[in-house]
Amino acid sequence: MFDAIDKELLKAVADLEEVPKGAYNIRKNGKLLGREVSANIAIETNEAGTGIIVRIKPGTRNESVHIPVIVSQAGLHDVVYNTFIVGADSDVTIVAGCGIHCGSSKAQGHEGIHEFQVEKGARVKYVEKHVAMGEGKGKRALNPTTKVFLAEDAHAEMELSQLGGVDQAHRTNTAELSAGSSLLITERVMTDGAQTAVSRNEILLAGDDSKANMVSRSVIRGDSRQDFYATLDARARCFGHIECDAILMDNGMNETIPSLKARHPDAELTHEASIGKIADEQLMKLMSLGLAYDEAVNRIIQGFLK
Amino acid sequence: MLEIKEVVFSVPDVDAPAKGAQKTIIDRLNYTFERGRFYAITGPNGSGKTTLAKLIMGIYPLSSGSIFLDGQDITPLDITQRAQAGIAYSFQHPARFKGTTFRDLLSIAAGTEDEEKLASIVARVGICSLDFLDKAVDSRLSGGEIKKVELATTIARNPRVAIYDEPDTGIDLWTIDPMVRLLKREQETHGTTTIVVSHNRAFLAAADTLLLIKGGRIAYTGDLAGASGLLRDLSACGYGDICEGESDVRCYR
Repeated sequence: MFDAIDKELLKAVADLEEVPKGAYNIRKNGKLLGREVSANIAIETNEAGTGIIVRIKPGTRNESVHIPVIVSQAGLHDVVYNTFIVGADSDVTIVAGCGIHCGSSKAQGHEGIHEFQVEKGARVKYVEKHVAMGEGKGKRALNPTTKVFLAEDAHAEMELSQLGGVDQAHRTNTAELSAGSSLLITERVMTDGAQTAVSRNEILLAGDDSKANMVSRSVIRGDSRQDFYATLDARARCFGHIECDAILMDNGMNETIPSLKARHPDAELTHEASIGKIADEQLMKLMSLGLAYDEAVNRIIQGFLK
Repeated sequence: MLEIKEVVFSVPDVDAPAKGAQKTIIDRLNYTFERGRFYAITGPNGSGKTTLAKLIMGIYPLSSGSIFLDGQDITPLDITQRAQAGIAYSFQHPARFKGTTFRDLLSIAAGTEDEEKLASIVARVGICSLDFLDKAVDSRLSGGEIKKVELATTIARNPRVAIYDEPDTGIDLWTIDPMVRLLKREQETHGTTTIVVSHNRAFLAAADTLLLIKGGRIAYTGDLAGASGLLRDLSACGYGDICEGESDVRCYR
């Protein structure tokens, strides 16, 4: 079912060696490559034929669904609209991710527009990895959008990472939190060469006792550039925190703009942001443990992006 | 043994009126640390204690002079090479890392990820528990906790020479004696040449030899009893001429 490139990409974006266990939907070059449903997880193509709808039955526990995307066709720019309906009181993991293999000078890209409706009391963990590889010189673009709607007491944890090879990324994350719901977003992005990445995040804390924590870790090497914007908009008694750290290496550039909007007197919003090179004291510590300078740099970056 | 020969360390003197003036922090210092002995380095603030320790580790470059470890000239070696040659360093203010755990640091220090081996090091250090292993070494660790991490990573190197810069900073009173016993035990069972920079009497009393540094030079070497007069002088107030009384708000100390 998979060729060598598919396997390499699936391993990189979803840790898959073979067909995953449980429900999955694998999309390759804009077409369905394989799909499996389970008793509790249904996957169907949407009406417009532009993506899938994943329906997770209420009360589904400890199940996962994999929906990786492969783009290896020269010149293809794939756009997909996926909807996830996570039933009440369920607890599931969704593993997404897109791998681009570029073998020519033509640009390739993928835009995954993902909408999550997380119903009352449900918990979902969403893991999304973006990777691009290949010897081609074509621009590789990955522009994901996630829209999250959390019902009362729902919880979503999102791990979003882009760790290499992507020339251009425009990420947009929006979320709306109802009473008692919570959201944790961790974004890790590493850029190099002339790559650019922009991440825009808008989190609306609409319900009482809702909680949001947005963590961003950026490593900016070569002549690359990353910009990070995050807004917490509090409309209720809630708690929100933004933590964004960027490590600059070589000639890397970064603009980080956290924004806190308290539109309710009981809102509690905080942020911490830092941009800078790897601290000398960290390097000296690891070198005093016997690591060479370059090894020390790598270990610090690995830990930071872990 | 570790030989310090004619070591000088000077830095640009930014306060001097003359451009290009240098300030000497360590002034032609000579000393030989014998293998397997316990040394305490003490002295007033700014006397050059930490600078000397950092010169030995290669954190600061010598302005002139040389350092030999067991007959090998380590002067041209960088921090990594000196660590590989058997010198370990415990920082007074340890670095904090986002995302790096105690386990990560200990694995690097010990050169193994083997769970049993790491657990045995934690047991050997004894002053921190196993659940510490997966804690991130970040700003959430207390001052005392991070010093214990620092101590453990130094010991995990099984160094020939272990340098501890103010190991009791941030450590509670009840942990200082166990810490002294730990360093003595490491010295005795592993033959570690131990150099502790400290003002704490517990470390000064535990040392085989006390070095008192003043103005970038060694002002005294010997035992604590012999140093007590000098230490008293150092703790005496030097503002006698203008003193308006210790209880006065304008006390200069």
